[in-house]
Amino acid sequence: MLTSPEAHRTLAAFLATASDATAVEITSAIRLSGGSVQESWRIELAASGGVLASEPRLVLRADAPTQLAASRSRVEEFALLRAAHAAGVRVPEPLFCCTEPGLLGRPFFLMRWAPGTANGAALARDAAWNGRRDGLVTELGQQLAHIHGIAPPRPDLGFLGTPPADSAAVRLALYRRWLDGFEDPHPVAEWALRWLLQEKPAPAGVVLCHGDFRTGNFLVTEDGISAILDWEFAEWGDPHEDIGWLCCKSWRFGILDREVGGLGDRTMLYRAYESAGGQPVDPLRARYYEVMASLRWLILALQQRERFRRGGERSLDLALTGRRPSECEFELLRLIERAEQGE
Amino acid sequence: MRDLPTGPELRALADEWAAKVHTLSPDEQPVALAMIERCRAIAEREAAAGDAALVPMRAALAALYDRGGDADLARLAADIRAGKFDARGLARQRVRELLWSLTLQKLREGNPRFLAAHGID
Repeated sequence: MLTSPEAHRTLAAFLATASDATAVEITSAIRLSGGSVQESWRIELAASGGVLASEPRLVLRADAPTQLAASRSRVEEFALLRAAHAAGVRVPEPLFCCTEPGLLGRPFFLMRWAPGTANGAALARDAAWNGRRDGLVTELGQQLAHIHGIAPPRPDLGFLGTPPADSAAVRLALYRRWLDGFEDPHPVAEWALRWLLQEKPAPAGVVLCHGDFRTGNFLVTEDGISAILDWEFAEWGDPHEDIGWLCCKSWRFGILDREVGGLGDRTMLYRAYESAGGQPVDPLRARYYEVMASLRWLILALQQRERFRRGGERSLDLALTGRRPSECEFELLRLIERAEQGE
Repeated sequence: MRDLPTGPELRALADEWAAKVHTLSPDEQPVALAMIERCRAIAEREAAAGDAALVPMRAALAALYDRGGDADLARLAADIRAGKFDARGLARQRVRELLWSLTLQKLREGNPRFLAAHGID
């Protein structure tokens, strides 16, 4: 979407107006890797005057050509970033949002550039990060507690809808609908959904759940976590939902014994979370949401597959993601079996 | 009984990308080549395993239902959904074993490294 000089000029004009600059020049726009759900672009610019005068680099976020069913719009993601930034969560500061789809073809927003790597495999595996992972787990617990400090009512987040009385039931109903949308049968997913329905814990108070809080979705520098990214799946929900997702095996990058995103120990996460103001973590409830996390990832992988099969996106990544559900099935069968054996 | 896209679909996609991988940036090419290789490897493993690999699962399905075909897989999913195998006991255990067999076979063909990481051949 930012491949032509005309698009650069259009973006420059938008930024000049939004930032009170006398002139803005876009010197480069490079699409960032990753982000199969949304597009992110690194924008290099030179601004004369205004709030961007000393800002050589921004990030532009735009909708992908086709959307996942649950993905929030850029306008909504912008509002979520503003709320998180105000709550002290480490996020790239959101700056400007453009709701006019005619300008660049799709709505978009811009935020400050945050340094660091989001390479989850490197963070989990590379020796360069040895000795620093425990610190990251502690920071993750603290950041999660800050996020969960955002609770309804929040008129600025009205698009999240009425806070659900039973957020687990809402999620399971959604997953039911999504599963019904696939042509092929998924007996393991049905097995897991049935178990989740039967074992559903009593409803608890809801908070803002990030919805995709995992290794790969935060930036890390040598000083620690610099930014929590990708807020497009945020919802009101049980705080254990984010914990279960973070600890889901799919995000351990092959380091299976480090339950927190391939980085470290679950107990350390819980302790940091509670020390930073989070509600006491119920380990059994966290395990329940870990099962839900594996089911959710299974369904999301199937949705990505459908973008390849039906959406016309001839992407290797999307096609191969269609072969990931069996990894989730393995984990679902294992977790449910362990739970039934009382482990 | 296998996941989608099918092996032939993956092979066709790999061929499509192999013909244009040189148009990608130097950073993108190794990633694309690895994915091309993975698509082809899955297709090859599936072709090598053939229908013979599915015989035990079909037999287990046939023990539950009539023919042990894909239609019975849909029936199994519907029965699980309806709670037919909720009760602890032999029927639930048989279904659990069948689900494990189906899943392990898909992983043997789609991601044997995942199984190896869990200590399974």
